[in-house]
Amino acid sequence: MHQDLVTIIPWNFVATICNLFIQMYLIKRFLFKPINNMLQKRKELADAEIQEAVKAKEEALAMKNEYEHSISEAREKAGEIVASAQKTASLQSEEILRDAARQANAMKAKAESDIAQEKRKAVNEIKNEIGDLAVEIAGKVIEREINEEDHTKLIDEFIANVGDVS
Amino acid sequence: MNIDITGSRILFETPIELPFLGRLYISETLVVSWIVMILITGLCIWLTHDLKVTNISKRQAVAEMLVEMANKFVVGNMGSKFAYMIPFVGTLFATSLVSNLISLTGLRSPTADLSVEAAWAVIVFILITKQKIKAGGIGGYLKGFTTPIFVMTPFNILSELATPVSMACRHFGNILSGVVINTLIYGALSVASAKLFGLLPGIIGNFLSKIPFLSVGIPAITSLYFDWFSGCMQAFIFCMLTVMYIKNADEG
Repeated sequence: MHQDLVTIIPWNFVATICNLFIQMYLIKRFLFKPINNMLQKRKELADAEIQEAVKAKEEALAMKNEYEHSISEAREKAGEIVASAQKTASLQSEEILRDAARQANAMKAKAESDIAQEKRKAVNEIKNEIGDLAVEIAGKVIEREINEEDHTKLIDEFIANVGDVS
Repeated sequence: MNIDITGSRILFETPIELPFLGRLYISETLVVSWIVMILITGLCIWLTHDLKVTNISKRQAVAEMLVEMANKFVVGNMGSKFAYMIPFVGTLFATSLVSNLISLTGLRSPTADLSVEAAWAVIVFILITKQKIKAGGIGGYLKGFTTPIFVMTPFNILSELATPVSMACRHFGNILSGVVINTLIYGALSVASAKLFGLLPGIIGNFLSKIPFLSVGIPAITSLYFDWFSGCMQAFIFCMLTVMYIKNADEG
């Protein structure tokens, strides 16, 4: 038994509508849902990876900045150290020079005072000697009696004259 | 030799009888459409088991490609507003395609029964009407029939009804033509083969003329057009029209 070639069988019509919706549910359930879930997951994964990459880049940039900062700091510090070393060195050298000058001055002063003392000593010695000599010479030359008072006065005058001359 | 071209065979007669629907016959159409449903569902399950996010198999790539194609077809033609139509259009296409191509296995296509296409076309017609009412309101929808002038109303109603009728008949006609032509070719070739081998003398000729040797080969070439090309084309056209009509309904 056959259907007619061109006809609409109500049961087939209704069954086809039902079939179409059942089939739609099945395709949704078994093809679209799992695949879309999977695509969603993949998208999330890709997003997460991109975010991670962005984060890593930011971190790298921060690190780079930090390094650059610390390098410039180190360079500054090195410059400071060199400058302070130079300053210290020049201060020290100045001090050394000043010390040397002071010492030299002190030595010079001492030497001068020594010389002056020696000179004074020598002058005194010479004075004494000259006094003695004068007394001797005078005794010999004059050979006359002279009282003690005149004598001493004469000598002192002489000495004073000698001192003036010298 | 007689060639009978009839509708699908009625396999089983049930006692169920309802008003309007008549008696329920389990015909070849129904059985084969169930087979088609099982095939499609099985294919879906097979394609999507063991899905992975990365390092995917070829099977999964095919499944993803199918989904992407459906997405692109619907969203590309209708806009992302109609993304909810993707499963419907995808189902329509898959069911139509597999139903058309199942005739290659010797089963009778469910789409060679006008009831099937009529059901699909009616659903599409309901969707179109729903979209029209949604876009312009029920007043706007009814008013649309009186444009451009009131006299045109009967023609507008006719042209509205012509949409599902033409969709169903186009699809059905193309598939039916394949069935008819294939039946004719098989019939003709078996007659030709019987005559050709009947020329051989005696018992050998008698025996060989009963086997339709010429039926091997030539129908494969005609089926390339009537089954493969026509089957794919009609499934595509039906879905394309569905998409276009609903899109137009939305635009007014």
